[in-house]
Amino acid sequence: MTREERLLAAVIDAVDTLVDDFDLIDFLHTLCDRCTELLDVTAVGVMLADPGGRLQLIAASDEHTRLLELFALQHEEGPCVRCHADGTARLNIPLDSPVTAAEYPLFAAQARAAGFAVTHALPMRLREQVVGALNLFDAREQDIDAADARVAQALADVATIAILQHRTLAHANQERAQLRAALSSRIVIEQAKGILAERWDTGVDEAFAALRRYARAHRTGLSALAQRLIDGELDSDALRRA
Amino acid sequence: MSSRGDLAAVVETLRLAPSGGLIDADPADCALSLGVDGVAVSALMGEGASELLWATSGASTVLEDLQYTLGEGPGPDVANSCAAVLVPDLTKVPADRWPALLPQALRAGVEAVFCLPLHIGGACLGTLTLQCAAAGPLPERDLADAWIVANTLTSVLVRNAERWTATAEDGSDLYRAVVHQAAGMISVQAEVSLAEALLLLRAHAFRQGTPVVRAAEDVVARRVHFRNDGDEPGASGRRRDCTRP
Repeated sequence: MTREERLLAAVIDAVDTLVDDFDLIDFLHTLCDRCTELLDVTAVGVMLADPGGRLQLIAASDEHTRLLELFALQHEEGPCVRCHADGTARLNIPLDSPVTAAEYPLFAAQARAAGFAVTHALPMRLREQVVGALNLFDAREQDIDAADARVAQALADVATIAILQHRTLAHANQERAQLRAALSSRIVIEQAKGILAERWDTGVDEAFAALRRYARAHRTGLSALAQRLIDGELDSDALRRA
Repeated sequence: MSSRGDLAAVVETLRLAPSGGLIDADPADCALSLGVDGVAVSALMGEGASELLWATSGASTVLEDLQYTLGEGPGPDVANSCAAVLVPDLTKVPADRWPALLPQALRAGVEAVFCLPLHIGGACLGTLTLQCAAAGPLPERDLADAWIVANTLTSVLVRNAERWTATAEDGSDLYRAVVHQAAGMISVQAEVSLAEALLLLRAHAFRQGTPVVRAAEDVVARRVHFRNDGDEPGASGRRRDCTRP
């Protein structure tokens, strides 16, 4: 399995236990509530794929039976199923249009019966993988604009990361290691500047310029070069002559 | 556009790929939307080290610097426990909880601190610290929003890490770039490791009662050096920082 596949597997494994995790579910409920306010829609739900690849409702902005049925229906068909399958957002879907009825006959009929006019589905992504979908419903016939769509996607990402927070520690440690490595690659350059500036009795900018020149001439990365200098594997005189 | 609050705009801009630097969004907007006077985000680098990534200027930056210099405070506590530390009134905290930090934080004009972990499971990536000049609890709604921001920041850190590696060569966009430069210089002057050099710098800042960034600027500008004092040849490990005549 690739790293992404392992992460995905961990998330999928977690779906069954997530419903017992009060803190997370509580957070997702709050998030759904805020979604309805921020995006001015009627109802919001977070759907997550289970190990069989079927979408399950994890949290919703309200618990009306008709709404819950509407989410439950999307085991089989509906914009969330499509959104989950190809990772593309489906926005401003009119529930009374013949096209929608043809595409999702059961879902469209039930959604209309529940009093909704428009629905939207946004992918919940972990890197390239889609782990679920954020589903919005509006009782009024109003579309969301591009800015609202970006906010909706941002909130879908928040839901995703909240769920990811409950992955195994091994995966979490990988993410942390990656973040530290990214920052360290910058820190070592600053440290190397200081080392050279002191050895040569120059300014840090001059030291940086020399580091850069050497890195370019030797087609090596600046961070790797700085690390070699720090580890004493590189003669600073050689750097100066570059 | 629908009637969305500031929070939506903050979450939206946080998600944008940074055009340069580490995080593009304006921390002042974030503070405003959460109803606090300042915010700061630090990444935890292990062994008590942290890297300030994003902060409103003024008290929030000072508070991060103080905690970094002194090694104590809500941020280090959150780093250890990976659980939120909410302090609605710093004046009511027992003096022995953070003995060095408390008086200096109050002097910096901070009376309330709310620090949340940026975590994935039990792994704490960093901290989000909100501060207010006036004591008082954070309303439930603002705290809920702060958690949304914290989760967004966690995803931003995870996503941006790859990009940061790629753009490391573009120059110094770390808040504390000068601290690492100074550590490099001190390591040469005092013939110690970079980790020890950083400790020397922090200790110097602590003794002088200055922020570590200020102390580092003095080193890089060569107003202060950490060479062995000529009067103490061979002094074993007792290297002293001294100001040039």
